[in-house]
Amino acid sequence: MGAPSLAVFGTVELLGFYLPPAVLWAGAALVPYALLRWLLGRSGLYRFVWHRSLLNLALYVLLVGGVVFLGTVGRS
Amino acid sequence: MTTALRIAVTLAAVIAAVLVGWWLWTFYVLSPWTRDARVQANVVEVAPDVSGLITAINVVDNQKVAKGDVLFVIDHERFALAVDEAQAAAAQSQWTLKLAQDDARRDEQILARDPGAIAAETVETSRTKAGEAAAALQLTQARLATAQLNLRRSTVRAPANGYITNLTAAVGDYATSGTGVLALVDSDSFYVYAYFMETKLPGIKNGSEADVKLMAGDTVLKGTVQGLSRAIANPTAAGGGLLASVDPNFEWIRLAQRIPVRIALKNLPADLALAAGMSATVVIRPAPPPS
Repeated sequence: MGAPSLAVFGTVELLGFYLPPAVLWAGAALVPYALLRWLLGRSGLYRFVWHRSLLNLALYVLLVGGVVFLGTVGRS
Repeated sequence: MTTALRIAVTLAAVIAAVLVGWWLWTFYVLSPWTRDARVQANVVEVAPDVSGLITAINVVDNQKVAKGDVLFVIDHERFALAVDEAQAAAAQSQWTLKLAQDDARRDEQILARDPGAIAAETVETSRTKAGEAAAALQLTQARLATAQLNLRRSTVRAPANGYITNLTAAVGDYATSGTGVLALVDSDSFYVYAYFMETKLPGIKNGSEADVKLMAGDTVLKGTVQGLSRAIANPTAAGGGLLASVDPNFEWIRLAQRIPVRIALKNLPADLALAAGMSATVVIRPAPPPS
């Protein structure tokens, strides 16, 4: 597991609003999430899924975790 | 068969998400990072040791000065005159001492030659007068030294390397001894006070490496944890008397207190314009395992 660093805990400034890092994480995870959803829809893999929205939510949380993990490992 | 597979796939994803979400939560809440950090520096309030009119100010606002540079001068003339006066007084006591010593010696000689020619009392008196005159000379010499010290102190020098800040004094102002005339920010003393939530404190050890990101220009500086404050004020404890006055309200929503952690900066770039009061984000790296 990576160590906390400025790469993940940097603050984002938007028009004078200083956003907490969690907003940055959530935003960064949206891109792979959209891509993954599109892929799952195209390939028809949603056929093997029980509750589609529940799985989407779980996938999103996993992606946020993945983004943060990459951030901590990427720059040590 | 398909139904079982569908449920299994979804449940596996949900369980993984719960675990990852838990890790994310603890990482966010317990990692030692804060957005509430400030650059600080020692600010010397430069006050003169003697009172008088300011006759010259040798610095301008925000100027960089080195230790020992002349900042301002107080009424040099008056203190030079005081030295002259003390010198004259010292010379006067010198002559008084010579007269008293001569008298004493003469009386001693007369007494030695012819004990009937002079009263023993007179000899004693002149000897005592000589002793008094010697003490008076010491006194005036000490006053002369004080006058010379005052003359030296009427030229106020920088006590440290740094920057003049908030210079509002002007030539002609009356400076009172002990009252600050200008502020000097010690440029060798910059440090960061990071206010950490108490929940994050267990992850902070003295000597841990710290990354400091200034709000200005996103400059990243390196630092070391120097120590954490061992006391903050208790806003709910009202003073008055010896007994504690305890606020009967229990807060349902409790905010973690912020504890100041002092971080020493190292390898400061020479061209970086640091100002005490700047905001910064601080992340503390985990301490290396004890070897």
